[in-house]
Amino acid sequence: MSSVIRLDVVLREAVATPYSDLVTRQTGAAVRNRVLMVLRDRPGHDAHLDFSAVGLVDFSCADEVVAKLIVASADLPVPRVLLYGVRADHADAIEHALDRLGLAVVAVLIDSDHPLLLGAIPEDCRTAFDALTERGRAAAESIANALGWTVPRALEALEGLASRRCVLAHADATFEFGAVA
Amino acid sequence: MRVVPVPSHLDDQTIDQLAASLGAWPPEERILLDAHATEWASPTGFVALLTLGQALAELGAPQPRLALPDSASVTSYWGKAGLLQHAEQYFELHGKAPPRKRAEQSDVLLPVTMIRDAADVMEVVGQIGKRATAMLRDQLGLEASVVGGFGQSLSEACQNIVEHAGTTGWAAVHAYSYRRRLGRKVLVIATSDAGVGFRRSLDATLAKRIGDRWSDGAAIESALIQGISRFRDPGRGQGLAGIKRYLSRWQGKISIRSGTARVKFGPEWTWDEEPPRSEHLAWFPGSQVTILIPGKEIDE
Repeated sequence: MSSVIRLDVVLREAVATPYSDLVTRQTGAAVRNRVLMVLRDRPGHDAHLDFSAVGLVDFSCADEVVAKLIVASADLPVPRVLLYGVRADHADAIEHALDRLGLAVVAVLIDSDHPLLLGAIPEDCRTAFDALTERGRAAAESIANALGWTVPRALEALEGLASRRCVLAHADATFEFGAVA
Repeated sequence: MRVVPVPSHLDDQTIDQLAASLGAWPPEERILLDAHATEWASPTGFVALLTLGQALAELGAPQPRLALPDSASVTSYWGKAGLLQHAEQYFELHGKAPPRKRAEQSDVLLPVTMIRDAADVMEVVGQIGKRATAMLRDQLGLEASVVGGFGQSLSEACQNIVEHAGTTGWAAVHAYSYRRRLGRKVLVIATSDAGVGFRRSLDATLAKRIGDRWSDGAAIESALIQGISRFRDPGRGQGLAGIKRYLSRWQGKISIRSGTARVKFGPEWTWDEEPPRSEHLAWFPGSQVTILIPGKEIDE
């Protein structure tokens, strides 16, 4: 289950502005707090943050809205935070903010349906993520075979992705990213 | 009355001459800023002049005079760029001021604008969005992907005033030909404030650790190069670091002057002969940030 949260709408609720830009720390903090309120009311749902009608995102706001939200949502019953409708310049600002804090998130660019990882994440995790998204749901053995890796290496990469809440880890020792919204 | 000549070309580097002419601070006499021979001023020049006027006003010094340029076209440009409208608050203006007009010139993307709070930053960024896209594309020949970083840089430069200066400040954005040094048209973001400056802002965080080497230059470098902020929040310090990252991708330059130092970051081969860090300059109030984004090369 997922909660799609349109950030342009949240922005206008949080701040009296005719613009659609996520800029300044105060704005970012106000938007994050509203998003957290929504998520508290929807336990068990992935948070799908929709950037598609957002104008500019600056570095400070990316820190407040995305990086701090990822940290804060770890204390909520929110399986994952995913970003949709992200432009290249949004991705730049978000990646910059996440890099500084050693965080990562999955984003789907506005002109793509292929998920990608933004932020600080080991290269093996990135490679395993690409392999997993091609396969849907897979165990470490399958990813290891596809990449020519040992099973422990694949498992470490997949568990790294799951611990960062970028993929889902199932009880049957399989992993999946899930459908793109 | 102390006469302080305004350089004929007032920009981020010739502010040093202006600062040197100020003498002791706070000034012992009323100041006359003499711009009668000034032929050109960059956006940084404009916002720095206002910062000087604001700093004197905040000190309670006698209102300084500003002798406007002799050239009617220069004064007209100063009016259209929004300088004179704000200068009236801080200076007794001498000379023929042009009638008030909105900035119609296509190379003034953002007339001189006061930055007081986050709402001003949102307004500035929101207002110029579409015009910035058109200017970067049509006048500088740059691709759409440069536009987002421009807006981010403008926003962060303005936020530095709100977050760190402890007083209000100014922002302006112009495009102009930078043929003398670069042979290209550039887009320039300039901000300035009469606030505490980088060194005082970071004193509590870094002065003890750096010891004898602590200076205005060290403070600017800590913020610009190492992304250090006075806030303990590890997410802070993103703004200048993000601007630097963007500029390094597009061969741009950032220059920050605060107190008695200036630090620049930019490709050595492209811009000027200024060293990366200049210290022991004449003191000037607050902080001035200049960001230059180069257009594509001009066909001769």
